[in-house]
Amino acid sequence: MSLLRALHAELLKLKRTLAFRVIFVLPFLVATLQFFIAWRTKRFASDFNLWETLQTSSLQIWAVFMMPLLIALVTALLNGIEHSDRQWKHIFALPVPRYSIYFAKVIVAQGLIFISTFILAALIVVVGFAAMYLRPELANSGPAPYGAIAKSASLVWLASWLIIAIHTWVSMRWAGFPIPLGTGIAGTFFALFAASAAVGKYYPWLLPMNIFLEGRATTAIVLGVAGGIIAAVVGCWEFVRRDVLI
Amino acid sequence: MESLIETRGLTRRFGARIAVDDLNLSVSAAGVYGFLGPNGAGKTTAIRMLLGLIRPHAGEVRLFGLPVAGNRASLMRRVGALVESPSLYPHLTGRENLEVTRRLLGAHRNLIDGALDTVKLTKDADRRVREYSLGMRQRLGLALALLNKPELLILDEPTNGLDPAGIHEMRDLIRRLPEEFGVTVFLSSHLLSEVEQIASHIGIIHEGELLFQGPLSELQTKQQTQLIVGVKQIDSAIDCLTKAGWNVHHSVDGMLSVGAKTSDDAIRINNLLVEHRLEVFHIALAQPSLEDIFLTLTTNQSAGRRAA
Repeated sequence: MSLLRALHAELLKLKRTLAFRVIFVLPFLVATLQFFIAWRTKRFASDFNLWETLQTSSLQIWAVFMMPLLIALVTALLNGIEHSDRQWKHIFALPVPRYSIYFAKVIVAQGLIFISTFILAALIVVVGFAAMYLRPELANSGPAPYGAIAKSASLVWLASWLIIAIHTWVSMRWAGFPIPLGTGIAGTFFALFAASAAVGKYYPWLLPMNIFLEGRATTAIVLGVAGGIIAAVVGCWEFVRRDVLI
Repeated sequence: MESLIETRGLTRRFGARIAVDDLNLSVSAAGVYGFLGPNGAGKTTAIRMLLGLIRPHAGEVRLFGLPVAGNRASLMRRVGALVESPSLYPHLTGRENLEVTRRLLGAHRNLIDGALDTVKLTKDADRRVREYSLGMRQRLGLALALLNKPELLILDEPTNGLDPAGIHEMRDLIRRLPEEFGVTVFLSSHLLSEVEQIASHIGIIHEGELLFQGPLSELQTKQQTQLIVGVKQIDSAIDCLTKAGWNVHHSVDGMLSVGAKTSDDAIRINNLLVEHRLEVFHIALAQPSLEDIFLTLTTNQSAGRRAA
């Protein structure tokens, strides 16, 4: 009950926030890039598969780069509105358990990332049809694989829960952008090197990307979801015990 | 009478520094309780412990007769609080800020208009808070605290940072609350003059310790008005007045401070000094400042300790 109340309050707080705008902007950047690639490519290879290329390359750019940064940004913004006017002392003096506030933040972050990921999924379809219209040689690429795109997008999102949980804790714990964004940049940076290493199978910032790799996909989803839930519980456990000093 | 707030042996340290030391507060229903102390005396730390925002290292807090530990959620339904500066979302309107808290409380929608009306913000309710003046922000903070019709309202330095008009407005508002809404107000301040005007009971905290607790009238009888005397021959004057039975201290600026109450006392003292051919150049009755009260209370306390 108290979690529903906290979620209801969170939704109102999103009004007019940058967090709610940025989730629309980033998918457009990826889709625009894809659109120009499809439109301007000089000659397509004979085995070129429009839908397959669009789907994997868009979602992979998203999974390894855009989405982790979006998570860092969104969680920092979501919690920034609490830090900026020292809201914790007000919220935590209300008759609402602190864990409800914490989990509401996690769920709203997950929700925003879900919306953003599915905006990208929708844009992939739009870009596909646009490319078929502009480049007649692609016109018989077949029907749009709605199911496959939705499935990949869902899995990328599920595998991101662990990153979301880490960033929610970090951005609640430290006010301002430097530490949350620094964490996101460091996480993404090391992902470039961890990708080819064995540890890449378990590295949180690579899990969304790993769903595209055979032999790593199952681990990515299990670790993403279960690890995300466990990390959220541990983060919450730590956060609710803190003294509210500011 | 039921105790709304009761603390027993409440203690909190920050590192080696003891912020609140063995605090025993007792606040009963009705009226305004002024929690008075200089900045850094431990007022905010004590208030945060009352609200369960920080945990005490020793002692316990009871609200409405029940320990806060284990009953926080149900007790906080009966409490409204404004701790230091108001916590507002500047990107939302005044009404939306109240709506956020209303949703968290699960309270009825129609409480919002009442709260806005109480703090006279109905007209500006649909403006964004970033456009609000400091006084309006403070009133909205008070509206957030009043939203759930609390029985106990805890306000930490509610007039801090306001301009004179804002202070006046806030003070009037707080003074009305007990009568109009039957709420007991627990208010902290570092200004005696502030608290004197609205509080019926007072607790004085200094360096984490409670120095005095009781009705304002009791504090006032304890605190004699001081007669500030400027005289050229200070030592002879002290000698002369002490012999006549007056309580004399050195005051600031080389003046003397004499424990006198009335203007008749002032006349008597002036005559006495003049008769002894001492040259008086200044004589005035002065209300004790908070500093004087601390000085008296701390002196009394250490004297008491020595006696014990």
